[in-house]
Amino acid sequence: MKIRLQEDVLKDQNLAAAFNRETFKKNHTLVINLMSSPGAGKTTLLEETIKALRNEFHIAVIEGDLATDLDAERLRSLGVKTVQINTVGGCHLDARMIAKTLPDFELDTIDILFIENIGNLVCPSGYDLGQDYKVVVLSVPEGNDKIPKYPVMFRRTDVTVINKIDLLPYVSFDLEEAQINLEEINPQAQLKALSAKTGEGMEEWINWIKDAYRQCTKP
Amino acid sequence: MHEMSLMSEIIKIVSEDARLHGFSKVDSIVVIVGDLSNVLPDALELAFFHFRKQGLGMLDENTEFEIIREVAKAKCQTCLFEFTPDYRMALCPKCMLPNCLLVSGETFRVESYEGSDEL
Repeated sequence: MKIRLQEDVLKDQNLAAAFNRETFKKNHTLVINLMSSPGAGKTTLLEETIKALRNEFHIAVIEGDLATDLDAERLRSLGVKTVQINTVGGCHLDARMIAKTLPDFELDTIDILFIENIGNLVCPSGYDLGQDYKVVVLSVPEGNDKIPKYPVMFRRTDVTVINKIDLLPYVSFDLEEAQINLEEINPQAQLKALSAKTGEGMEEWINWIKDAYRQCTKP
Repeated sequence: MHEMSLMSEIIKIVSEDARLHGFSKVDSIVVIVGDLSNVLPDALELAFFHFRKQGLGMLDENTEFEIIREVAKAKCQTCLFEFTPDYRMALCPKCMLPNCLLVSGETFRVESYEGSDEL
């Protein structure tokens, strides 16, 4: 007998994401899902972002990596509560993994939770974690063709951060071309060009986060 | 590459529903995979053969698996032109404005299955 099921394969994942979203909302926690290829500078960007925000906000981090807690240690040294998820080969974080870590946090005391996803421009794009915003970090040595090559990722993100702009004189990366490429894939996306290392452009990024926090905690 | 876990999710969804219907065997499964879903049909099929060999859920050696591809389609919100997009998914090839929305290509769902009770 044939049964027409028509059920989303990621149904359980989407339920878990909805649960996370509800939990974050109840606790007035802004949640940012940070994605990139390996080495684009997510952790350095997070370190500098935390330094700029920690006097004003209570911040926590969920750190995803295949192995080790090297990144988590870097962030803990800034005095930020960080929970490490090791996926042991898994290529992305999913909503159920995030849900399992939530009891480790006192969410009602946390203003902003950053989730640092696994370094990968493919798989993490398909998984809703229950975040408020998806941010993808692209560093200039990776080249302009990253945006056209991974359109699904860039289409599904709210903000594209172009990192390491201090290296622009040494590599063939064109910011204007990146802006055009992004607009052809995702006209709603915002682009923030910065260098987490030198601090150039950081202010605009930090202000965006502060605005996002105000939006998310509005009654 | 997470097609193994996606395939085990598919078998879980089908087996749970088959149990509710009182079936003891799943004869075939049909899934729809969109071109922009980031799911690799070949890898999904390989995972299916692996799980079929193991007899996971209500699968046996005769269970069939079919993948229907869903092509990507985008529609311009300005001139209403519908087209198959390249990577520039928001760009209309006709009026050249980046004002298009995807209308298909992201689907990933279990469409149907056949169950029987012939033990």
